[in-house]
This record gives sequence, C-alpha cells and structure tokens, in this order.
Amino acid sequence: MLLAREDREKVPSAFDDISFDLCKRRDDVIMMSADLSQYVDLYKVTKDLPEQYVDVGMAEQNLVGVAAGLAKAGFVPVATTFGSYASRRCFDQMLICMGTSRNTGIVMGFTPGIASPAPIHHQGTEDLGMTRAIPHATVIDAMDVTDLAQALDVACDTPGLVYMRGHRGTTPRMLDPGKFKFELGKTYRLRTGSGVGIISCGHASQWAVEASDLLMDRDFDHSLLHVPTIKPANEREIADYCFAHDQIVTVENHQISTGLGGLVCEIVGKVGRGPRITRVGVPDTWAPGGSITHIRKHFGLDAGALATRVEEVMR
Amino acid sequence: MRSNSERRVKTLELWAARMRRNVVDICMQRGGYAGQGVALSDVGACIYFDEMRPDGKGWFHDRFVNSNGHDTIINFAAMAELGTYTMEELRTMGADGSPIDQSPIEGARGFEITSGSLGTGVSQAAGIALGERKKGSDKRIICLLSDGELHEGSVWEAFMFAAHYKLSNLVVIIDNNDLGATGKTSDVMAVEPVKAKMEAFGFRARQINGNRIPEVLDAFDEARAVKDKPYAMIADTRIFAGISVYREAIPFAHFVGKDGRWDTGYLDWESGWREILETIERLEAELAALD
Repeated sequence: MLLAREDREKVPSAFDDISFDLCKRRDDVIMMSADLSQYVDLYKVTKDLPEQYVDVGMAEQNLVGVAAGLAKAGFVPVATTFGSYASRRCFDQMLICMGTSRNTGIVMGFTPGIASPAPIHHQGTEDLGMTRAIPHATVIDAMDVTDLAQALDVACDTPGLVYMRGHRGTTPRMLDPGKFKFELGKTYRLRTGSGVGIISCGHASQWAVEASDLLMDRDFDHSLLHVPTIKPANEREIADYCFAHDQIVTVENHQISTGLGGLVCEIVGKVGRGPRITRVGVPDTWAPGGSITHIRKHFGLDAGALATRVEEVMR
Repeated sequence: MRSNSERRVKTLELWAARMRRNVVDICMQRGGYAGQGVALSDVGACIYFDEMRPDGKGWFHDRFVNSNGHDTIINFAAMAELGTYTMEELRTMGADGSPIDQSPIEGARGFEITSGSLGTGVSQAAGIALGERKKGSDKRIICLLSDGELHEGSVWEAFMFAAHYKLSNLVVIIDNNDLGATGKTSDVMAVEPVKAKMEAFGFRARQINGNRIPEVLDAFDEARAVKDKPYAMIADTRIFAGISVYREAIPFAHFVGKDGRWDTGYLDWESGWREILETIERLEAELAALD
C-alpha cells in the first residue's frame, strides 16, 4: 500500500480540499475554527459553504463547548485549532462536553508536536498521551493525505470524542489510495521483514518511511508498522508484530512518554518476556523552534540519524 | 404577552412548593444542596411548568441546559412531579451505588449535558441554540448558571459568542445568590454589576427577584420578544428562600449535611418539612377557592 518513491506526491494545502470535499458530501458537518482558519488550510469551506463554517474567535474552551452543543443539535462538528491549544487549553471541555457524550465530536489538532516552528507554546507534544487517557475516546494520528482524509470520514460516524491530529500545508501522499483503506484500530504493515520492527504514527510515519528507504538501500533487515489509531489500540495486532521481531523501535512526533512508545510498552509488558523497545521521539525536554528539518536534526529524527539509530539497536 | 393571572401565578407557586418539598425530602436522607434547590424552586417551576412547551410526546419541545451541577437538584425535584423519576429513586442520591448523581452525567434521564464542571454549560447551550437555528427549528434554549460560574473565563467566551451570533433563541438565567463554595461571592470574587456586564457583552438583560414568580414570568415574556440578541435573566435568589425556618437558621450554606449542619449554622430538617407541607396545603386551598 506504500507508494513507490517516485510515485509519492506532495499535495499543497491538502486539508482545504479534504474539508471542502467532506462538507460538500455531508451537510451535517460543520467545520469550526478559533480564528486560525487560514493557519489550518481552511479556505474553501469558509468562502463557499459559509453555513457549514463557524468561527468562535480566539477562544478554544468555547470552541469545544460550542462544538459539543452543535453535536447535541444533530450536527457533526469538526473543531480545528493547533494541537497545543486543543490539548492544553480545552482539555476539560474535550473530556466533559464531548468525552461523556454519545454524540460525535471531532477535535483536530494541527501542527502537532514539532511540526510547529514556534517553540514550546505552539508545540503540543503531549496531546496523544492526554487524549488517550480519556475513557472511550478515539485518538487518531494519520500519516499522509490518504489516511487523513479517510480517517476523518470514519471519525464523522464514530460516537463520542474523536481527537485527530491534522496536517497543514504541503502534505505528502505516501499511501496508495487505491490499496489503503482506513479502519479504526487497524494497523498497517508498510514494509515486511524481520530483525528490527519500527512502529510509528502520524508525521513520524513519514520519517520512518524515509529512514526505511535508506535502510533498504543498505539491505538492513527491518519492517514498518504504521499505527494511525492510538485509541482504541489494536493490542492483538501490535503484540503479534512486536513478538515477531528481535527489537522494536517506536518513532513518534510526540514526547516519548505517554504516546505511541508508552502504548507499545504497555501492550508488550502485559504479555511479558517481549523484545526490547527503544522509544524515539521528543525526549523529556523542550524542543527548539525553527523548521521541522532543523528540529528533527536536533533530536536525531532526520532520515539519516533515524536510520543509524535503528541499525544501532542491533549492535 | 401572556397574562399573569392569579391562577397562573398561584399554580406555579404550588409547583414551586412541591419542588421545595422534594428537595427537602431528598436532602433529609444524606444531606445535599438544599439551600440552592429551595431557592431556585420558583425559577425552576416557571421553566418546567410554564415556559418550556411540551413536545406532545411526553417531553419538552424547548431545551433546558443546567450548567451548574449543584443546582440540578431542581431538575430532579421538577422531574419527580413529571414522573421522570420516582421519589424512591431520588432518595438514594448521595448513597454509594446510587444511579442518581448530585451532578448528573449526560445521558441521565432529562439532562442535556454533563454538569458540574463549572463554566462548561453556556458554550454548549450556545452551540445547541446555533444548531437549532441552523435547522430552522423554533426551539428555545434555557441555560441556568450560577453567579460563581461567572468567575470562570469560559462563560464570558460563550457570552461573547452568543451575542456575536445573535442567538435570540437563548436565555441564560444567572442564579445570583451571592454564594460560592466557601463564602459570599461578593467576598471571594465580586461579580457585580452583573446586569451591566451582560449588557456590555451584547445581551438584553433584566435583573429580577428570582423568588417572585410574576417577575420571572415577565422576564421570560420579554426574552421571547427580543429578536436580535440573547437574553440574560439575572435572578437574585437567596439560599433557602421559601422556607423561612431554614432561611433563618442558615443564611449561607453550600451543602447541608444529613445532620442539618454547615459551618455557618444548623437547621432542623423536620421544622422546614412541616412548614413546606403547610405551604402546599394552603396553596392547594387557595387554588381551589379560585374555582
């Protein structure tokens, strides 16, 4: 399902088309923003489908509260903001107003983790851990245009709180839309092999694919598992994958505690006597600001450094 | 404008008295938010037994969002009269394993939202109001919150939003009882002038005595006539208003225990119970005399 290197494309302002296409198909969907529409690529819906767009101003608590109210009036709200705000500013509203409801309420956190150039205040590196601690919540971290669009469709029919990370700006298409089908909880084997098993989600699945390209060139035995659904996690598939490898490396655009790496450790720990798990991502420190290229390099998350770190776990 | 006939007012006074009886009955078992429930029974009676229109299917066409969990005892007290809950069920409130929560969770019979996390109800009520308007529905949304909730910044975000979107189908009722969790609101963090603040935020606002039913009815009449902005009813209430022996015993009480105690005083549950039963009897006789 992974497109060949030469077939991968870059889609500008991908979410603009994804959101517009969704709203055209479903008139019960309402895209929402807290005065950040252009910063999450919401253009066409705001201009051409104004009845399906609600802006609440710079007020994230109200964003999620109003969204929950719209859900109680029969609509499917998609509340968009940055991941840092969605998680930290209005966590109580997510948990109380959406998390305890059967109505679908979608919160999308854009420029998550180190995908934001502005240090600390705009970098939400805790959101996956926070939201996956909410009972019955659904938490999704898609890797590219293909699974982001499909996951959002599925989210619209999923009861309760759905927290999804978003991608803004030019977003790669790495998964073949003809072969990939997003299903809640499903994990995706992007490369097969034994030796080191690399588990990733979201932006980090892009990084993992880049590193995997290098490792393939070097004939280094490994495989890749993309886990877009953080919650409800498919524990069986993740455990089976881990126990089929000598070493596991988790890669995430998130702090290495509480997120994907934490999740994999919890699952493997439940079974016991599993492979060693090396968690790669944002360590327990503040990330610097700057381009994502710069920040990845800073943390050893660029393709070259990542490939080397994977090789090193076998030494 | 509906007329405030003597019969209409007296009927609502009787409903309010029955709600007070139910509040006391529930709180005598294990303690509870009795002061708020007794004080809000007049407003509650007007909401449940006058303002909200029936949907013809056993519930209401209009929607009532109670933001402040502590005050949901008036929802229970009214719903006991409607048959949504039995008093037998409600008397288990506060007991381990009881299905009746003091601050109910969304999905509980008759409740629109999960209450109790203060400051989260107004945004949801505003979202419901916007959604109902988008659907072309004429439903009216009533949101009750406490003056203490005005300390939460999120309610002001919601007020700004409601006015910006001209949600004239939304009525917020602020239970202005000058009581927070640990003392007078005016001592802990002053909220006045509430009416001026609501007007500055784009609401049509009226301050009333929330324990005078004709004033509540007049405010609802005015709210329905406003077509271009949301409405704020600032209902000045006082803890235990309507049961004089309690009111004299404890002028301020956040929670009264089964033993009748709060750190500001002590009340004798039985004395108020007798008073409210007498009130009901008197009102029933007065109403019968109007026939």
